[in-house]
Amino acid sequence: MNEHPVTLHVMDDLRRSRLTVFFRPLLCIPHLIWIYLWGAVVGIVFILNWLVALIIGRPAKPFQRFNAAFLRYTTTVLSFLFLIANPFPGFTGEPGSYPIELEVPTTPEKQNRLKTFFRLFLVYPALAVAGALLYVTYFVTFLAWWAAMITGRMPRGFRDLGANAIRYIEQGYAFALLVTGSYPCASPYVGMALGMPVVAATPAAMEAPPAAVEAPAAAEQPAAPEAPEAPSET
Amino acid sequence: MTKSSRRLLGLLIFGALAGVWFYLASLLWRTSVPGNLKLPKVDMSALVGAGELHQAQHFTLISDLFALCGLFLPIIVLAVYAKYGHRFISESAAGPIGTGMLLAMLGLAIVWISMAVPGLAQLWWYRKHGIVSTGYVSWIFGSWLGLIPVFEQICLTILIVMGFARLLRDRWWLAAVPVFVGVLTLFVFITPYEIPLQQIYGHPQLKAAGGRIAKREGVAKIPMRVENVGTMTSAPNAFTTGLGPSRRVVLWDTILDGRFSESQLEVVVAHELGHQKHNHLWKDIGWYGLFVLPIAFFIARWTRRRGGMAVPLAVPLFLFLWFALQTAITPLNNAYSRRLEAEADWTALQATNDPQAAKSLFVNFVSTTSEDPNPPAWDVMLFGTHPSEEQRIAMVEAWQAQNGG
Repeated sequence: MNEHPVTLHVMDDLRRSRLTVFFRPLLCIPHLIWIYLWGAVVGIVFILNWLVALIIGRPAKPFQRFNAAFLRYTTTVLSFLFLIANPFPGFTGEPGSYPIELEVPTTPEKQNRLKTFFRLFLVYPALAVAGALLYVTYFVTFLAWWAAMITGRMPRGFRDLGANAIRYIEQGYAFALLVTGSYPCASPYVGMALGMPVVAATPAAMEAPPAAVEAPAAAEQPAAPEAPEAPSET
Repeated sequence: MTKSSRRLLGLLIFGALAGVWFYLASLLWRTSVPGNLKLPKVDMSALVGAGELHQAQHFTLISDLFALCGLFLPIIVLAVYAKYGHRFISESAAGPIGTGMLLAMLGLAIVWISMAVPGLAQLWWYRKHGIVSTGYVSWIFGSWLGLIPVFEQICLTILIVMGFARLLRDRWWLAAVPVFVGVLTLFVFITPYEIPLQQIYGHPQLKAAGGRIAKREGVAKIPMRVENVGTMTSAPNAFTTGLGPSRRVVLWDTILDGRFSESQLEVVVAHELGHQKHNHLWKDIGWYGLFVLPIAFFIARWTRRRGGMAVPLAVPLFLFLWFALQTAITPLNNAYSRRLEAEADWTALQATNDPQAAKSLFVNFVSTTSEDPNPPAWDVMLFGTHPSEEQRIAMVEAWQAQNGG
């Protein structure tokens, strides 16, 4: 079982540009300003959406799409900042535009009104864990920065650890913003799809031979087989 | 309309616009310093001593070599970047404007790398002469962090330019120039709120004089504040910033450390209030607007060969042209700045009526900054934002001759 409505897909090839790695935090400046501005609107939308969800039992569709785009966007920015991915991300959170992509439900699901009412209290423990994970990620990024500057590649273990932290953080925010009613999962095997693009995770594509699904990543990852298969066996 | 008459009409319009441009520039160029003022020859070695004068000349010469590096090296680096910078497009998953921002930031990041060695050498020179006390590691880290506002500004510039270019194609400059001027005005207005300024403790005589001088110069009482920079530098300085209600006169704590007398400080404050009296910050904004217009126009034309500013491919060339053209007008900007500074000096003399204090202040500047009081012409042209100390002292003497002080 690795199913969670909010799933992180990692299609990164581990290659890193030393120039952008050296200046990585500074290159994030326009994104951090944009997150701040967009986040302010998300805050207002959250209140409206919360009221809607309490009344009709599910979030409003436009708000759902708006929040989903924000979560996808923050995922790309965090991935860039923490060296989980190489390219400079876009500003719109458009699906399919980045090697690290958050699959988020864009259609609102029915949610328990009681859980909705107490959402901010319920999410608090998860956000506390997310905060702790963020500190771990800072430390890992510091180490990874040196590794990437020297070798021009991101160590796979650091990348996967960072990706997992981002996955948990985004699941936490997805729950907080009512995008999903599913609580973030602490297991690194749930809601994580290493080497699989979003399209491959759809039921139809799951029928495709594994080699074909993994082909894009396999070209860049000649070493040991990727870890995502392990969880499905456990 | 035939082709030749269209060309004639175009030339006429261009001529009319150029005429308006020169007229506006001449308005900004005017100052209240008497045009017939004859500056007497000043013997600086008699005022500061031959040894100190020689030392100041030596210090300035070497400082200028580093400054020359700082002026021209970025242009050379950006020229190379204009040719090869487009290769970094592959590092972006963003849209055209986002990619443009990335290319612009990377261009300036490469300039920063190229400037590291000359920057450290300059730091060594300043440390050797006790002007700056910043450590080498702190300088590297500080200048790296100093890229934050630089990146913010360039991203905003790219957003404005590319945003309008996507809407108006090659005519983006028509819309972008008013926005640039508006953004600059906003920045000047908010600057006093961004700098960590503090109240001046002590100096009751100076505070009282500030109010008195403001009244005499006919400006509203503008708050005086202090900026603490003493941990980084020993150089004395003061400036005025802000517009309307945000106007401030700012003194560095290094000028209040006892090396300058109260009467000398009064001249400093009167000089800064002189800037406000003659609306120099507004005039600076106007001057910027006058020059950014042709710069933006030429960039719009010259970036056409790269597909225009709507596509990120043109951004490295834009970056080069933007900096090269601004560097090209540096001598003119400096000449303009010197005129405004001279007007502020003149106003300070009128307001304080204390030429001895002004003279001793400028002599004191030579000892405390180690700057050459009479630098060579090329130095004045490229780096002289203020009249030289010799010229300032000569102006004091000319004022004395005119007013019998």
